[in-house]
Amino acid sequence: MSLISHFRVVRFAFQDFYRNFWLSVATISVLVLTLISVNVLLTVNVIGKVALSMVKSKIDVSVHFKPEIDESRVQTIKISLLSMPDVKDVEYVSPAQSLERFSDMYKKDELVLKSLGEVGVNPFGSTLVIKAREIEGYPKIMQALEEPALSEMVEEKDFDDRQALITRIESIAKKIEWFGLGASLIFCLITLLIVFNTIRVSIYTHRDEIRIMRLVGASNSFIRGPFYVEAIIWSVLALGLTLALMYPAISFFQPFVQRFFGTDAVDMIGFYRANYLRVFGSQLAAVALMALITTKMATGRYLRD
Amino acid sequence: MIRFKNVTKTYPPDIVGLKNVNLHIRPGEFVSIVGQSGTGKTTLAKLLIADERPTRGQIIIGGWDISAIKPSEIPLLRRQIGVVFQDFKLLPKKTVYENVAFALEVCGASSRKIKSIVPQALKIVGLVDKADRYPRQISGGEQQRVVIARALVHRPKIIVADEPTGNLDSLNTREIIDLLKKINEFGTTVVLVTHNREVVNELHRRVITIDRGMIVSDQEEGKYVL
Repeated sequence: MSLISHFRVVRFAFQDFYRNFWLSVATISVLVLTLISVNVLLTVNVIGKVALSMVKSKIDVSVHFKPEIDESRVQTIKISLLSMPDVKDVEYVSPAQSLERFSDMYKKDELVLKSLGEVGVNPFGSTLVIKAREIEGYPKIMQALEEPALSEMVEEKDFDDRQALITRIESIAKKIEWFGLGASLIFCLITLLIVFNTIRVSIYTHRDEIRIMRLVGASNSFIRGPFYVEAIIWSVLALGLTLALMYPAISFFQPFVQRFFGTDAVDMIGFYRANYLRVFGSQLAAVALMALITTKMATGRYLRD
Repeated sequence: MIRFKNVTKTYPPDIVGLKNVNLHIRPGEFVSIVGQSGTGKTTLAKLLIADERPTRGQIIIGGWDISAIKPSEIPLLRRQIGVVFQDFKLLPKKTVYENVAFALEVCGASSRKIKSIVPQALKIVGLVDKADRYPRQISGGEQQRVVIARALVHRPKIIVADEPTGNLDSLNTREIIDLLKKINEFGTTVVLVTHNREVVNELHRRVITIDRGMIVSDQEEGKYVL
């Protein structure tokens, strides 16, 4: 096609867009609803992952050493623990700090405080608070702590109490991942069908025009061209409208979600800002590609010789 | 100009559209193809514009054998033959001017050429004052005149008119036939497919009669005989 024909194709696309205004509105509405659904799913996935990682980050293992084990030995153990690849952080809590924390925790319980006073000396030994990089790392850390040389020095480990919780969180995390993947796949399929059928219906309404264009000598590419351009116009406008609707909605709901989780870590606006090119670029590319393929298939029906 | 050599067109399973048709139409002729409904008149018109392909035989237009025309060549053929249909076939979302201009736009004509030719074609059919109206805003006769204007913009050597007056009253019918006669006087070959007895009898031109897919009569200054 010549340059003038390309220009005409674009002009016809815009002309067709506003002369079939309500059809354009209907098509864009369906695309907007589809994109909103995809973005809601994406938001839920992100919030789910953030919530899960928050819970995971709060898990740690406290290893309480016997009071007779001096600080230098515990510090040596701390260093050897830090050299393990699964260990993210190890905090040393001195006997004095442990006593302070305990007193603080039970400051309203006079009986406990009185009993502590009767003991006379600080009954606490040193404590190491260990955090693993991944939740799956805890069993290995626990195994290392079970070694005879170490276990002799340890009075108590509180990991056993949390073992059930960790297992449960792990299983929930896996379920969420599978659910997210499954839901995304189903959604992709639904989206594909909606976009495909919407554009097919739109082109079906133009079938007589397509036949007339052929009869007056228009080439197939000249007939298809405006439909392709129109499909891109629909995609761009649909994404623009989706953004215009989603941004205020997320801004409105974000403070409630943050309050619910008690942290600012759930930051959807921040996520969209940081990934806008990837998130919206891929959505635009996907919708436009679907629209173009559907347009080619739908017009092909009326352009067969 | 137009030559049919032993042309047969059958539709599945074994319906005969045309059977062994031999025909020669010379440049500048005004030929009426007549016959009752379902005898093969429209099949002949469709074969001329490559809307159908012959099952057997050869169709040659201006030295070009279109019997086995490639799909990519069909637009080129249609830009050389003006076509007028009974049901007008105008683009409903384009104005009268845009409908006529469209035939030029599809072949990449320059804007300057379009601006010069379209008003001329609209002047010939008497629709300059209705150029900005949409097809639904004008009468049936006017719509058919738009179709003729659209067929004229390529300055075609041949105009094929398939029942152009089928949806029109007698007054509009006369106007359309007069217009086709005027176009023929400029040297364009006109192939008029019709079953309107009055139109054929008043024309006093060549009449080819088709019955059951075969040419049963071909008279230089004929009448509607069926």
